[in-house]
Amino acid sequence: MRLRLAYATLAGFVLAGIVHIAAVLAIPRLAETDAVTRARTSENLDHPQVIYALSTGETAAPQEAWLPIPDPAVAVGVCAFDLTDGPMRVSARTGPLALSLAAHGRQGAFYAVTDQAAVRGALDLVILTRAQYDQALADDDENEPSRDVRIVAPEGRGFVVVRVIAGLPSQREAANAAVQAVNCTTDAAADDSAKR
Amino acid sequence: MKVALSGQAARLPASAGAIGGLVARFVRKSGMPLLVLYALALGAVLGLASADWATRGGYPFGGFRIGPWTAWPRAGATGADPYTRAVNARRGEIPLAVGEGLLLTAAEDDEGRTLDASCTYAIGGAVPPARAWTMTVAGRGARDPDRPHIRDGFTSTEILRRQDGRFVITLSPEAEPGNWLPSPRATGPMRLALRLYDTPAAAGVGSLDRSVVPSITRKGCAP
Repeated sequence: MRLRLAYATLAGFVLAGIVHIAAVLAIPRLAETDAVTRARTSENLDHPQVIYALSTGETAAPQEAWLPIPDPAVAVGVCAFDLTDGPMRVSARTGPLALSLAAHGRQGAFYAVTDQAAVRGALDLVILTRAQYDQALADDDENEPSRDVRIVAPEGRGFVVVRVIAGLPSQREAANAAVQAVNCTTDAAADDSAKR
Repeated sequence: MKVALSGQAARLPASAGAIGGLVARFVRKSGMPLLVLYALALGAVLGLASADWATRGGYPFGGFRIGPWTAWPRAGATGADPYTRAVNARRGEIPLAVGEGLLLTAAEDDEGRTLDASCTYAIGGAVPPARAWTMTVAGRGARDPDRPHIRDGFTSTEILRRQDGRFVITLSPEAEPGNWLPSPRATGPMRLALRLYDTPAAAGVGSLDRSVVPSITRKGCAP
């Protein structure tokens, strides 16, 4: 009897290990409070949804911010994408403030670029699937090479996060505006066929 | 009273023994299924509880120690470990990507003592090369609404520097000349976060050592 109880306990511990690993691996997939799920509300906007606006003057930082420990000098916005609707284009104009774009999926960030990579003051990031990438390559006009930065996403859903740093409190308003000024649009499939 | 107590004491082992016998007989009778049930319950409870514990709060591992600071270069990368990904998912965190910046945190001073809100610290020296950086302090839990909110941190642009380009931030509950960073709460532990934006250090954290990160020196504590 004792021996069987010991065996059962041992089996319980082994099972606990398996459950532990399975639970840790399943959390990012099942989580409802993660950034990918929360960013989804911004899918229909054509500019980033500001998730952390800097406090300016009397207006305090908004309470709806869900970042656990945000940087009080960096305005943050997100644009969610769903590549089944078509490739996602993020266009930013560089300004006096440092700006960075990073593309995240459920697995983590797969690409990041700062405004120092901008060509003539413009930064165009296109996120697409492998098939859409091949299509874009085939559609390219040889005489007029595209200046887009094309990134193949490892998964269909995710978001692009826009960060603008305000070095001084007086730049906070400009940083909030710079996040809003970024364009996030879906390159509709209709446009592609029209180009062809 | 004494009689009643001793009577109870005499009855207790007897009843415990009776319950034990009952359980033993039940186990013997139901045998295998009960043991299987026991193993399954043990596995489920221990497994879920340990998974919850490991993914609550901060990142359990993946940090890189540099003096009092811990750098988290892989927190936002695609190759992050499953625990880091689970922590990010549970907190709704959007970590800095490798090309974007690097997060360093500190919860202890140079001598390994926990940062305490009632103490005064001098944070100074150099910062790894970066286009911009911010140094922020946070206490545990929500901000105390009664305390005046003066500032949470400094950016590389607004900080006052000495002639050689180095700086000293005084983290103190009382106002200080120079770069004064007020303690976020009256008492309790604090955490410092140093965020480097657009830094080459993110790609090679191994190249950082104590001489390029700020030192955290305790100056004294309020009684």
